[in-house]
This record gives sequence, C-alpha cells and structure tokens, in this order.
Amino acid sequence: MFVHLQGPWNPVWGRLSLQAIPYQNPILVGTFLFAMIAALAIVGAVFYFRAGPYLWREWFTTVDHKKIGVMYCLLGLVMLFRGFIDALMIRSQQAMAVGPHSPGYLGALHGYLTPFHIGQVYTAHGLIMVVFAATPLLVGIMNIVVPLQIGARDMAYPYLNALGFWLTAAAAALVMLSLFVGNFAHGGWYGFLPYFELPYSPGVGVDYWMWAFQLSAIGTTMGSINLIATIVKMRAPGMTWMRMPIFTWASLSTNLIALTSFPVLMVSLALLGLDRYFGTHFYTAGQGGNLMLYNDLFWVWGHPEVYFLILPAFGMMSEIIPTFSEKTLFGYATMVVASFAIGGVSWGVWLHHFFTMAAEPSVNSFYSVTTMLVGIPTGVKVFNWIFTMYRGRVRFELPMLWALLALFLLLVGGMTGMMNAFAASDYMWHNGVFVVAHFHMMVLLIASSIFGAVEYWFPKVFGFKLEQRWGKWFFWFMVLGTAWVFVPMFILGFAGMTRRLDYVPVTQWAPYLRVMLVGMAFYVVALGFFVAHLYVSLRDRMKNRVGADPWGTTRNLEWMTHSPVPAYNFAFIPRVHARDEWAWRKEHGMANLGNESFEDIHMPRNTGVPVLLGALSFALCFALVWRIWWLAAACLGLVVLVIILRSFARKTDEVIPATTVAGVERAAQDALASPARG
Amino acid sequence: MTHSAENPLHHPEVHQASLSGYVANFLITVLVMTAALWLARDNSLPAGSLVGWTSLLALVAVLVQAYLLLHMNWSKAQIWHTVAMILFVPLFVVMIGLTMWMFHGLYQRTAIAMPHQTMAAPMHPAPAASAAAHTVKAA
Ligand code: HEM
Ligand SMILES: [Cu+2]
Repeated sequence: MFVHLQGPWNPVWGRLSLQAIPYQNPILVGTFLFAMIAALAIVGAVFYFRAGPYLWREWFTTVDHKKIGVMYCLLGLVMLFRGFIDALMIRSQQAMAVGPHSPGYLGALHGYLTPFHIGQVYTAHGLIMVVFAATPLLVGIMNIVVPLQIGARDMAYPYLNALGFWLTAAAAALVMLSLFVGNFAHGGWYGFLPYFELPYSPGVGVDYWMWAFQLSAIGTTMGSINLIATIVKMRAPGMTWMRMPIFTWASLSTNLIALTSFPVLMVSLALLGLDRYFGTHFYTAGQGGNLMLYNDLFWVWGHPEVYFLILPAFGMMSEIIPTFSEKTLFGYATMVVASFAIGGVSWGVWLHHFFTMAAEPSVNSFYSVTTMLVGIPTGVKVFNWIFTMYRGRVRFELPMLWALLALFLLLVGGMTGMMNAFAASDYMWHNGVFVVAHFHMMVLLIASSIFGAVEYWFPKVFGFKLEQRWGKWFFWFMVLGTAWVFVPMFILGFAGMTRRLDYVPVTQWAPYLRVMLVGMAFYVVALGFFVAHLYVSLRDRMKNRVGADPWGTTRNLEWMTHSPVPAYNFAFIPRVHARDEWAWRKEHGMANLGNESFEDIHMPRNTGVPVLLGALSFALCFALVWRIWWLAAACLGLVVLVIILRSFARKTDEVIPATTVAGVERAAQDALASPARG
Repeated sequence: MTHSAENPLHHPEVHQASLSGYVANFLITVLVMTAALWLARDNSLPAGSLVGWTSLLALVAVLVQAYLLLHMNWSKAQIWHTVAMILFVPLFVVMIGLTMWMFHGLYQRTAIAMPHQTMAAPMHPAPAASAAAHTVKAA
C-alpha cells in the first residue's frame, strides 16, 4: 500500500538512523549547544525556584483566554527570534557569495552555506515567520483582547482554545526539531511541485514541512472557530453589532477568512501527503496529475491567509490611533464594511501569485482587476486613520509610533502590491526580490502593529507599563534596519535579482547586498534594545504599576476592568450603552465599577488534556515524518482514546465564590489607591 | 450570558443527536466515498463524466454530513447555523468556478495534456508539439 522508498527503512526505527543527526555541521552543532544551554538554563531555573507545579497548574493546564494568549505571544516571540536568525544567515550568505572569486567556507563553494543548507534556511524562515511567528502573535492578542472587548468572561470554548494553542506549539516544536534530527524542506516555504514529490525530494525535509504546516493549520482553524463563536454568542448585553469595537470586527472578519480558507490548505497538503506516502498522482507531472493544481489550491488559501494576517493588524491600528489622537475613530461604519470587503475580495485574487503560469489573458486580467480592487477598502481605512488624527491631540507614545510606522509601511507595501497586480509588469519581476520586498513591507507592517499592540495592551494584561526610553531606541533602530534592508532590496528587484539565491553572479549588486547587511546590523542592535526594554520594564515593574485605564484616553470595554485583569475578567458583566462604551461611561460619570454585592462566578476548569493531545500529535507527526508506523498508529490510537475519554469528563467547570471575588476586587481597588503607582 | 450554570445537556442542539443518525451518516459516507474511489481507480468512464459523477458523489457526501452529522436543518435551534452555512456557498462557487475557468484556458494554451490523454499514454509525457496539437482538438 505504501509507496516504495529510496534508502533504508526498518520496522522499528522507520527511516530514522544516526546519520540523521547532523553532527558534522558546525553551524548546527553550535545551534544545538545554544539550544541546550538555553533549555538547561530554563529547566534549571524552574527547578531552582520550584516553579514546576506552579507552571503546570497556572499555565500549562490553563484554559484562561488571557494566559493562553500570553503563551501564544511567547511562542510567537521565540519563533520570531528563530526566524530572525534565519534572516541573518540569508543576508550574510548573499553578501558574501558574490561573484566567482568570492571565497567559500565550511564546505560551501561560495559564502559559508551550501545550497542545500541555505535552501532549508529560507524555507524555514518563510514558514516560521508567517505561520509560527506572526500567526501566534496575532492569535494570542486576539485571544486576550476580544473577550475583554465584548465583555465576556472567557472564550466560547476554553478547552478548544487550549487545544489549538498546544497543537500550534507542537507544530513549532516539530520545525525546531528538524534542525537537529534530519533536515527541513529546501524548496521555499509555499512548496514547489513536482519538486516536493517523493522522487525529487526523497528526504524527510518535505515531510517535516508538510506535517508541521498541517498541524498548525488544524490549530489555527480551531482558534478561528472559537473566536467566531465567542464574538457571535458571548457579547455582553447591549453590545449590538454596531457597538462592537473595531478590533473585534477585524477579528471576526479575519477568523471568517481563516475558517473558510485553512481547510483548503489542509486539503492541498493532504493530497501531497497522499502522493508522498501512498504514491497517488495528484500533483505529479504525468499520469493524470497536475502540478499547477497544487499552486492553485495553495494560493486559494495563501492569499486569504495574508489578509488573515493583516486584518487584525488593521484592527490594532484602529484601536491605537483613536486612543492617542484623543478622538473617536473616524468612519466607524466604513471601517467595518472595509474589513469585510477586504475579507471578501481576498477570496477572488489568488491567481496573482502565479500570473506567469500562462493562463489566458482574460483570466490574468480578471485577477489583476480583483487584486487592484483590494486597494479601495484599504484606502478607505488609510483615510479613516488619517482623519482620526486630523485635528486630534496626537500623542507620540510608543504604541502610536508603531501604529504610524505601520501606516507608512502599509503605503509602501500597498503601492508595490498594486505594481505586482499588473500582470504585465509582474511578468518582469515575478519570483524576484521586488516581490520579496513588497511582502516584507506588508509583514513588517503587521510586526509593527503587533509591537504597538503589545505596548498598548501590556499594562492591561500585566498591570504595569513598559518603559519608554529603551523602547524608543528599539523602535528607531527597527526603522533604520527596515530602511537599510528593504530600499536596496526594491532596487535590486528592479535590477532583476531573483529570489532565494545561494550565490549571486552579478558583482555589481555587491554594494547593495552590503548595505542590506548593514541594515541587518541595525536590526541586531534593535534586538539588543528590545531585550533592554523588557529587562528594564520588568525590573521597574513596581514603579510602573497602573490602574484600569493606563493611557487615560482609551475607549473600549477592556479598559474598564482592573489591570491586571482578574481571572473572571469582569466581576459584573457590563451592560453596554454605546459604541466606545468606556469613553461613554467616563463622559457620563459612570467610570466607577463599585458594587458591593458580588456573586459567585462560574468558570471553566483547568485541564491537562490539551497538553497531552499536543504531545501526542507531536509524536504522531514525528512518527509520520520518519515513517515509524507502529509509533504513528499508537499515537493516533491514543489521540482518539483521549478525546473519547475526555468527552465523559463531568467536572469541567468550577465556581469562584463571591467572597473570593470580593477579595480580588478589593485588593485591586487598594492597589490603585496606594501611592506605589508611579 | 457567559457560562451559565445550567446543564449543557439541556441545550436544544444537544438534543439533535441520535445514534441511528450517526450510524446512518457513517455508513452512507463510507459507501459514497468508496464508490468515488472505485470509479476513479476503475477509470473506465470518459474523463468528463468521471469528473461529473465523482463531483455528484462528493455533493451527496457533503449534504448527508451536513444533515445527519451537523444537524443542519430548519428547526428553531439550528436555522441560523444552516443559514450561515448556506452563506458560504458562494465561496465554493467562486473557488471552483474560477479554478475551472483558469484550467480550461491553461489546457488550451500549454502542452499539458487533458487528463484522459495522459491516462491513455502513461509514463512519458508526449512531446510538446504533438501534445499541443492534441490538446487543442480535445478541448
Ligand atoms: C494592496 C494589497 C496587496 C496587493 C495588491 C498585493 C499584490 C501582490 C501580488 C500581485 C503578489 C504576487 C507577486 C509575484 O509573486 O510576482 C504578491 C505577493 C505577496 N504578497 Fe501581496 N499584495 C497586497 C497585500 C499583501 C498583504 C496585506 C500581504 C501580507 C500580509 C501580502 C503578502 C504577500 C506575500 C507573502 C506575497 C508573496 C508570497 C511568495 O511568493 O512567497 N500582500 N502580492
Ligand atoms: Cu496575494
């Protein structure tokens, strides 16, 4: 039944053998040592502080949407770091390996990375940044903020929420593991057919890529179901649709995209899996297969996916800009419509990723036009933000700086996107670095919004503000790095440089590549400032403690409850009177929560099942990658068994007694009144 | 409005569950999918009607699952779920329709042979020129 494999296989270890460990590669050995030291430090700290039981009880088994959100963000940050290291390697390789006389080190003819190695690096970079850095960060922030903004106590499905997170984490771990056991795909993050078929990519790299991608897609789909159900069903009384905060609207739109498009990704990867494991011919070049079908299916997901990433970022900007312009958002209704228009149009543009496939001119023209249509709702949003700032009292605090940078990057990325949208010009630079620069503007916009959002909502989640001095240094060095890396990249794109080069044949490009390397140095410095920013903020946390409304001019429900938010979010489910409820309450002298007759609060109960399922899925995918059939069968069986057993669990909830609630509320009030507030 | 303490087993959605429904769903789905797989493996129908029949079977599978497994119906408890599902139908139409349109043109313009031709001459892709000639006629 299974397809014939090239190379050894045995029933116990599958394809796994000692050769799979890349101990001859000094870079990977170094990475391994670094990872081990980091892991030892963490584990050591956990034991030293006896934090194990605490971590397990309060974090690993939690179903609290805020804690899950925080864990999503931590996962995203770790993977952002990994992806950044990959970027450093790509940039330094390309700066070194220019021209036939450039020296080679570590077994490479030019530069220090062999083609096989740098292939893995850029593949991992793309996949990690899109799926394991940006997505978890965005999902994490939505997880934290959406229930608070709609006045709910948790997500609609807290258990599913934890499960989605642990599956995503398992998928990320799988990518990391591929560094040290086996290798990773080396044909680009979106897959390349028929190159990714078994005969041409016989190793385990593609399998790692495929299963990690698949697992994260399952996790993200679960998250999207959860957020949609939460927004539709759990809004506080009085929160009508048109009173919903814009970030919540953006989350709804974005998760509708995720819910409808991720299944397509799963199918396109599953068909590749059938090809690679059972020898079917969905994407082969002959025997009835069609390799363009893969491109088609992948980008049917792929383009909606980029809007899945950007809509929450737009939502964040729409929260930050009014707060720091001290005005209500301009054009609320058009903002809502634009979010959904973007979501809708994103479903009809995917072919612009393969204009060069040789479709009919009418087809290409159709997709050119639909792609350009996206510019209309996006433009509406841009003008709304600008009009929000117009005649506002704009305060350039850190969240606002990030939001403005995002706005600027949106213009650059959007304009260059429009240039890509002309099929005729896209023929000139498709698969070149112009395209790469375009979408990096877009994803850096997303990153900027995320940093802004973290600055903005951090005090809500943790109860103290991040400091501003190092944060500003971090911001400005990110700006510098972005300019120095991507302006030359646009230029090289016009000069005709193709993407994913392991060796650059044109020596005239060397200066640009070196300038880009300087940009990377700025990014490295920025990373240092980021660490300082976090360190100083954590050190001074008692000095920077804040109350419910740390920015003073916030507008939505999440700012009504205490900072940090208690486990139950709101002692009383708020009744909503207006759009921008919190601003409305402040105007109408109703900002005080005080109500003495607290009630019991019914909450979901922690469970270790999601962690277990995450671990089992990890093992399942590992077994599938290495074709260890007994292990795969055992893990799959256990997954099914655990799910069935869990469905019999009766004690899935618990009650926080009114006295506890009263205690927590009083403590929060007292903390507010105390002079410790800096 | 959030987690109320009432027993979730009393929710109307939960009452839609029925063992016979689930078993019937399972059997019908397996049957339909096996039939589709068999049609594809047997490969004796001409390409066009093969696509037609498997699509029809897929539609049956979707409808059966929507009705028996997801309980999409017009009852008071479920009607909004059903309506929401129907609102997604345009997406299917857009995705499948645009894909077909694109491949239709692509097959005419490139040397990729139509599916039934590749099946008739397996293993080696036909030389570009003759394949192109075939394709134009076939389409
Ligand atoms: C104004 C809106 C946009 C337009 C008109 C646009 C247009 C395009 C076009 C035509 C391409 C294909 C270029 C080629 O491969 O030759 C492209 C690639 C890409 N765009 Fe955009 N885009 C827009 C917004 C975005 C956004 C919001 C994101 C991400 C959040 C994004 C991310 C990407 C990515 C990741 C790729 C390339 C993927 C790859 O080849 O690896 N774009 N864009
Ligand atoms: Cu696109």
